[in-house]
Amino acid sequence: MTIRPLMGLFLGSAMAAFSSVAWAEDVTVSFLTHWPPETVAKLEAAAATYAKDHPGVKVEVRAVPFGDLLTTLRSQAGQAGGPTIAGIYDLWLPELARDKLVNAAPDANATDVKTNWPNGVATAASVGGTVYGYPNEIDVYALNYNKKLFEEAGIKEAPKTWDEFVAAAEKLTNKDKGQQGFGMINSWAAGVVHPFASLLASNGGALVVDGKPQLDSENAKETFALYEKLIQSGASVATMGTADANTTGPFLDNFVSGKTGMIIMANWWESALKAGMGDRFADVATAPIPVGPKGDGPHSISYSWMTVVSDGASDAEKKAAWDFLAWFNGPTSGENGASAMGDLLQSMGILPSRTSDVAAFADRLKTPFLSGYVDVLSEARPFPTVLGGQEFTESLQAQIEALQFGKTTAAEAAAAAQADAVSILEKAAQ
Amino acid sequence: MIGLRKSIFAMLAPGLGLIAVFILVPIALTVWLAFTKWSVQTPFSSATFIGLDNFREIFGSTSVGRDFKGAMINTALYSVLSIVLILPLSVVFGMLIHQAELKGANLLRTILFATYMVPMIAVALVFSKLYSPTEGPFNQILSWVGIGPQPWLSSPDTALVSIVLLNVWQQVGYFTILIIAGLTQIPTSIYEAARMDGARGPALFGYMTLPLLRRTLLFSAVIALINAVQVFEPVALITQGGPVGSTNVMTYHIRRVGIERAQGGLGSAMSVTLLLALVITVTAVFAFARREDRR
Repeated sequence: MTIRPLMGLFLGSAMAAFSSVAWAEDVTVSFLTHWPPETVAKLEAAAATYAKDHPGVKVEVRAVPFGDLLTTLRSQAGQAGGPTIAGIYDLWLPELARDKLVNAAPDANATDVKTNWPNGVATAASVGGTVYGYPNEIDVYALNYNKKLFEEAGIKEAPKTWDEFVAAAEKLTNKDKGQQGFGMINSWAAGVVHPFASLLASNGGALVVDGKPQLDSENAKETFALYEKLIQSGASVATMGTADANTTGPFLDNFVSGKTGMIIMANWWESALKAGMGDRFADVATAPIPVGPKGDGPHSISYSWMTVVSDGASDAEKKAAWDFLAWFNGPTSGENGASAMGDLLQSMGILPSRTSDVAAFADRLKTPFLSGYVDVLSEARPFPTVLGGQEFTESLQAQIEALQFGKTTAAEAAAAAQADAVSILEKAAQ
Repeated sequence: MIGLRKSIFAMLAPGLGLIAVFILVPIALTVWLAFTKWSVQTPFSSATFIGLDNFREIFGSTSVGRDFKGAMINTALYSVLSIVLILPLSVVFGMLIHQAELKGANLLRTILFATYMVPMIAVALVFSKLYSPTEGPFNQILSWVGIGPQPWLSSPDTALVSIVLLNVWQQVGYFTILIIAGLTQIPTSIYEAARMDGARGPALFGYMTLPLLRRTLLFSAVIALINAVQVFEPVALITQGGPVGSTNVMTYHIRRVGIERAQGGLGSAMSVTLLLALVITVTAVFAFARREDRR
């Protein structure tokens, strides 16, 4: 046994013991999240369990739709009455840290994160080496396809290369039935950019390298060209891919109703797919991202979420918040050695990131749907977390959508996306 | 005399003070921030003066300028289409309801006004389903008359018009009530005199009703314009500015830049530009109406 797991065990126990100390004064910690009602109920149950041993601390959950999370955070963080704890997408961390809105983790919590989470995940929760929160979910993209539609189209297995992918998309397309081969998302920044970035990574490219955008690389140009080809052949229909503010809408409707053969989507959609498809969820299979002509293998995009503590909260609130997070993410708060956070994430089909949670849920992660994601995780490329990341994402989204709707060509989209990205990242770095 | 002035000032001070604190100060602050680089996540003291840079950027050729100009055009199109559809419809409905002999006029008035009272969140949710390309009732109804499915909110060519139709549905009742109020101000003796002179039907409407409704129509047009420029909820709830930025209107874009991206200086410059554009447009409308009055 190496010293790392031992150290983790020690720290976990120490944090858990510390967390059971009664609080001298009443403190209310608010927890801002975008989770759906059923998950919020689980979080509230965990908070109630925590409150039994911490009679002076009340954890209050505030839930907003995903589309409003960043706005709520930006407008309330650091203000009196703002959320003490917030669940954030790691892309937002650099700007929140720059503006001193998030509290640097106390030493014990920072060591806890560095010890009990994989290095890459802990790094994504840090800026300049300083840990700012507890990582929780990790999401990765993979190809989802409808096995029944594959069977009907006479396709034996999931496409492994872009040529096979295009051929499968064309075979799956049936205009008379209103059926498209491959579904592309629009009107949702991450939903548009992440599948594109996954195909780009599988073609040996990257969105950003050493802080410089690479959208005019040959790898990126070929990825834009792939989109153009799918659109022009009719294998992908842009109007079937609209998402609304809750990340639902026609894109989801068309896949769950069997009008879309393949999509590239993240594991957290499992609950949405199950809810929409019922028993037909068994028709959904997961496969690695098809590899492009310049690719060395399937690589998808991964990103993580984390919980941070507001720097504007009072000292007592910050102390209580970090203590709650240590317990909530620790190995004693859930079932069978898992954390309560891990239990909660698993209820949504989301991959936990804490090392002990991954071990605790080993069997659950072997389901046909999730195992496809777990398999590609090790080769996934993290989405670049840079200053100006949100604007960069939205700018790229605009070019990809223009291509999807035939408003621009692949070459023009690549050139415009690169010019915009250079301007945005340079300005953000100033 | 001095005592009178003092007491007038003392009586006006509370009201003027409140206006200054809650209206003038925020406007002045926004104007000042428009000339600064400022992250909305930081105190005002962290804002640094950068002159006209924000304005150069929003009218420039980078993605910031392109998106801003696109949002301005979308807002202008949305406003014009809304006014062009709402005003004639509200005049038609107003005339119908105003006819004393129409049975059920009160019921029709209630139904029309009810749409204005429904919260936008409910309207947006319902319309997003009505517009659904595959399962939406609108496309099903069109199929009965042999018209193929329309993409509605899912295409950059039709999304903005779809949002306009939603707005018209919700607002037309309110403007109908305004038109009815205007119609009741027209003395019946004028109509009687016109009828005695032989005016009938369309001539009565064109030469009597419309000119006498001009002030009501002008007021309605200005209110409809202000409402249209402030459109936010349906975009935020249904389309998020897409697809391809086709429904990205000014208020939504300012929120995205100023709050989501935390670029408070840029967002303020956009707000100031929008305010100026609105003030100029409304002033132009009133100036045009005044010139027509003089004729």
